[in-house]
Amino acid sequence: MADSVNFETLVAGYYGPLYQFAFSLTRDEADSCDLVQETFCIWAGKGHQLRDITKVKTWLFTTLHREFLSARRKETRFPHIDLDYATAELPVVSPATVNQLDAAEVLAALAQLDGVFQAPVALFYLQDCSYNEIADILDVPLGTVKSRLTRGIARLHQLLTGEKNKMPKPKNL
Amino acid sequence: MSRDEAKNILLLHRPGTAEADDPQIAEALALAKHDPELAVWLEAHCALQVAVGEKFHQIAVPAGLKEQIISEQAASEKRIFQRQAIRFALAAIILLFGALAIFWLPQRAQDDTLSIYQNQMVGIALRGYGMDLVTNDPSQIRTYLAQKQSPSDYVLPAALQKAGIVGCAIEGWQNAKVSMICFRTGKTLAQGEQSDLWLFVVDRALVSGSFDGNSPQFSKVNRLITATWTQGDKLYLLGTTGDEQTIRKFL
Repeated sequence: MADSVNFETLVAGYYGPLYQFAFSLTRDEADSCDLVQETFCIWAGKGHQLRDITKVKTWLFTTLHREFLSARRKETRFPHIDLDYATAELPVVSPATVNQLDAAEVLAALAQLDGVFQAPVALFYLQDCSYNEIADILDVPLGTVKSRLTRGIARLHQLLTGEKNKMPKPKNL
Repeated sequence: MSRDEAKNILLLHRPGTAEADDPQIAEALALAKHDPELAVWLEAHCALQVAVGEKFHQIAVPAGLKEQIISEQAASEKRIFQRQAIRFALAAIILLFGALAIFWLPQRAQDDTLSIYQNQMVGIALRGYGMDLVTNDPSQIRTYLAQKQSPSDYVLPAALQKAGIVGCAIEGWQNAKVSMICFRTGKTLAQGEQSDLWLFVVDRALVSGSFDGNSPQFSKVNRLITATWTQGDKLYLLGTTGDEQTIRKFL
């Protein structure tokens, strides 16, 4: 049972990857911290319901993603526009090599992807998740994950390098 | 598998992962070994993947986040504990009140029984009382009691009518009024006493356990002998010192 998972050990093991995933989605430090905090808070309340201890990582990432989607739905319903932030959001995509880019620029490119591609691509590059785990986290079929990854990665590379990667036809989104 | 198909498949390839075991990826990788152009593309692609991946891993986690999460959780647990303690205390208080109600309400329900009424009225007679009206005129007493909305349409036994009336007072019972009519038996009164025979009249509906019928019931209550009877909608309680024979003289 998940009761046996020590809370502090769990936080120590996953707060970093969870924050990086959250930041990939929000690109806002405060929002990302809130998402991670909320994820562990939910774990503290409901984690004991998880029967398979090996699913802790998937559970945490799934919860964070759901919280992100939930927060985004609220923002869509009650849009909050920060003008300074909006200015910072204007596309700044370097045509130079990726090595010349910093993480912020990569995330800015990620943000230009359609919403359905952002989470799988972020999880893909964080490399802590297999395709199956990404499918579990996002609660979509494996084929859909691969399809979204293919399109998302191709589009991301295109944005980062200016190359025209061949874009597979959409399927199963 | 064509070169373009291999590129599409290898787009998902993360160098150094077990995904190379995927049959499709393995086939595409094998193709790259024999296709120099694909091999060049793959090398560039892998470099790009690694570089992009590094950028994601460069996302700096704010210092203190871990401690913040742990301390916030500890505080949250403390709040939950306090909330539970408050709930427990409230539940205990409710249970206590419930238990008290269970024991107290039956007592309250019995407050209006005949024996309690008798004890209470006899207590008034013995402990001392002040008459509201001192007069030997029975009609004045009735008028006074009527004005005060206390029972005044009582019927006195013939023998009692002959006893010397000295006044009246109004007492309370279950938020209603009890007419206390004071008489003298004719015996010598102790110093300070004005009366030694008392009749209490109350609405009979206010005393549970009161009986039907005009026949008086005699009982010793405290130091007084009492006779209790009903007539009409009234309950009568007559008390004096002495024994049953003594009180029978006034009925």
